[in-house]
Amino acid sequence: MARDTAVREPAVRASRAVRHRGALAVFLVPFGALFVLFYLVPILYAIYQSLLTVEREGTFGPAVQVFGGLTQYISVFQNEPFWASIGRVLLFGVVQVPIMLGVALVLALLLDSPLVRGSKFFRLAFFAPYAVPSVIAAIMWGFLYSPNLSPFTAVTGAVDFLSAETVLWSIANVVTWVYVGYNMLIIYSALLSIPQEIYEAARLDGANQFRIALSIKIPLVVPALVLTGIFSIIGTLQLLAEPQVFQSFSNAVTSTFTPNLTIYSTASVPNISLAAAMSVVLALATFVLSFTVLKLTQRRTAQ
Amino acid sequence: MAISLVARAGAIAAISALALTACSTGGTDAPGASGDCAPSDGPVTLTFTSWLPGVEEAVEIWNEENPDIQVEVQTGPNGNGGTYQNFFNQLAAGNAPDLGQIEFDAMPNFRVQDGLENIAACEGILEAEDQFVPWTWSQVTFGEEDAVYAIPQDTGPMAMFYRADLFEAAGIPVPTTWEEYEAAAVQIRAQGGYINNFSQSDINAFAGLVWQAGGEWFSNDADGWTVDLTGAETTQVAEYWQGLIDNDLVAVYPPWTDEWNAAYNSSELWTWVSAVWGANTIASGAPDTAGNWAVAPMPQWEAGASAAGNWGGSTTAVLKGSDHPYEAAQFALWLNTDADALTAMNRTANIYPATIAGAELPVFGEGVEFYGGQKIYEVFAEAGNNVDPNFTWGPTMTQVYNDVADGFSGAVSGSGTLLDALTAGQDATIAALKAASIPVKE
Repeated sequence: MARDTAVREPAVRASRAVRHRGALAVFLVPFGALFVLFYLVPILYAIYQSLLTVEREGTFGPAVQVFGGLTQYISVFQNEPFWASIGRVLLFGVVQVPIMLGVALVLALLLDSPLVRGSKFFRLAFFAPYAVPSVIAAIMWGFLYSPNLSPFTAVTGAVDFLSAETVLWSIANVVTWVYVGYNMLIIYSALLSIPQEIYEAARLDGANQFRIALSIKIPLVVPALVLTGIFSIIGTLQLLAEPQVFQSFSNAVTSTFTPNLTIYSTASVPNISLAAAMSVVLALATFVLSFTVLKLTQRRTAQ
Repeated sequence: MAISLVARAGAIAAISALALTACSTGGTDAPGASGDCAPSDGPVTLTFTSWLPGVEEAVEIWNEENPDIQVEVQTGPNGNGGTYQNFFNQLAAGNAPDLGQIEFDAMPNFRVQDGLENIAACEGILEAEDQFVPWTWSQVTFGEEDAVYAIPQDTGPMAMFYRADLFEAAGIPVPTTWEEYEAAAVQIRAQGGYINNFSQSDINAFAGLVWQAGGEWFSNDADGWTVDLTGAETTQVAEYWQGLIDNDLVAVYPPWTDEWNAAYNSSELWTWVSAVWGANTIASGAPDTAGNWAVAPMPQWEAGASAAGNWGGSTTAVLKGSDHPYEAAQFALWLNTDADALTAMNRTANIYPATIAGAELPVFGEGVEFYGGQKIYEVFAEAGNNVDPNFTWGPTMTQVYNDVADGFSGAVSGSGTLLDALTAGQDATIAALKAASIPVKE
């Protein structure tokens, strides 16, 4: 009997695999089809678009799209507002991402600390802003900042939150408000997965809560911080909704305030090929930046 | 480890690709001169996108009279506020509405993008020319024979809306020249108000001021386009408003916002130099000030002159790819010539028609309650007569407005001047024309 099974097992496995091929297809095809249709095809199409230029005779002659090689990419690299907008969001990211993740980490540690009561309530309360769509959040904050319509006119009358110097940071505050709870939740779930035995050992060694947080919890949630950090960098480079909404509150938000806004206004000229080329460049920049961060943090973890 | 790194990198690549947008190109078939325009068989439903307040009421009249040609209205933000972008995208995707509202200044832009059906061959269209104010008709034909790319809807002659009550109470004479306007601004500022708000994003309104001063931004001949955003008249207008901004004599609220409405509603702002349809904007944005407004001609650069500018004015265009150009053209013609339709649109949106007969309709001789019973359309009719009809719009106005508005944003928040913005806009416009392979002279 035992021998029998041993002999037959590979055959069973093989036939199982064959039998499961149908099931595999059922699970994979819907994803695959949607992925190809709404992901790969648009990306490839954007790349294709970015290689075209327009030719026409006279002003109102029929426009013909011809292969233009890297013409659009040369225009992208010569486009000052585009690079200024990338610089602006990088500055935004350098300041906002560490603050947001720092706050998220502190909140997660507080929730995880045995000293805090009502952690379920606070967990929900901190997370709630993430349930507000970013457009709504931006409109709400826009009114809060507004010098005459804000319920806090005593503050907004004294400080102009919507001026050219401050509006970037006012937007950073909105983004932080929306996403801090989301990032906190990711870090918090990483904290929950730390085995209790480690804490026990630490306590036996005489470590207090602060020491445990510093020497055990934070090092163990570094992968979660890296993940949220990369998501935040990507989100920063792709800022669109908040600045676009803020255009109706502040006259300092230009049509080229962030890279995505620049792409949006370029597409509305309409110069779709240039907008496509900008999109490709932005995607590559995002990829390179995220990959670099990943590489750097991994090297540090390995050490 | 290496594998997981690659996998993660792949995931990042996939996520970053979210930045990519899907776009598509429009058809490149040659615009047919005047081809066929035959009626469709059976009942048809047309889609019509417009941002005119209450346009549904006029359309309702048509729908009742024409059970076989039903028109569905889709509303959206004003043209430069997003509707044009939607049109360009829809045209590229081949699913544009049958009819769309397009302002005169955007007509060349749509023509260049091959977004307009030539409806000259449709019944009654060419014959309708005589009904329209001549300059509006030349804006929709581009001066070509056998070509009609839209039906003019309304014009936007400019005048000065002002708070008659405040001026009277303060004993400030209503300004008739720009010099007096500045003097009044100083007095009003001393009382805590502002004479006006300088809109950093309504570049078409600024163009209206330049238009009044006799400037022109674009001209077009056989050798291509001439762009002149920094001519003498433009410079004069830019420096005048820069002075008001520098001396804190005008407010700089972002226009078309609640903050802006609130400033009018709370009597902080005393005047608005705007187009006839602005009558509706004030009435809906500043309801608490009803009855206190009046309309006077635009302040002049030379005492005793009567020049006026124009801001806006729309057409109803049959967009490229419509399956029912005949019916769409009939509706567009009806909407903009029928007495009931024009009256309905005036009542809901205060627009001033582009037809000669339309201006004679009783509604345009009536006093308007919000303006203290003043017969405001008489002022605008007079202004309309004083608008130089030969103002040419460039073929990339969306871009011009964006680029200049970006510069104006800087100017009102303290970096650079209006003239710097126009200088940068000049270069950006020439670059945009080149990018679109449109011949341009430097």
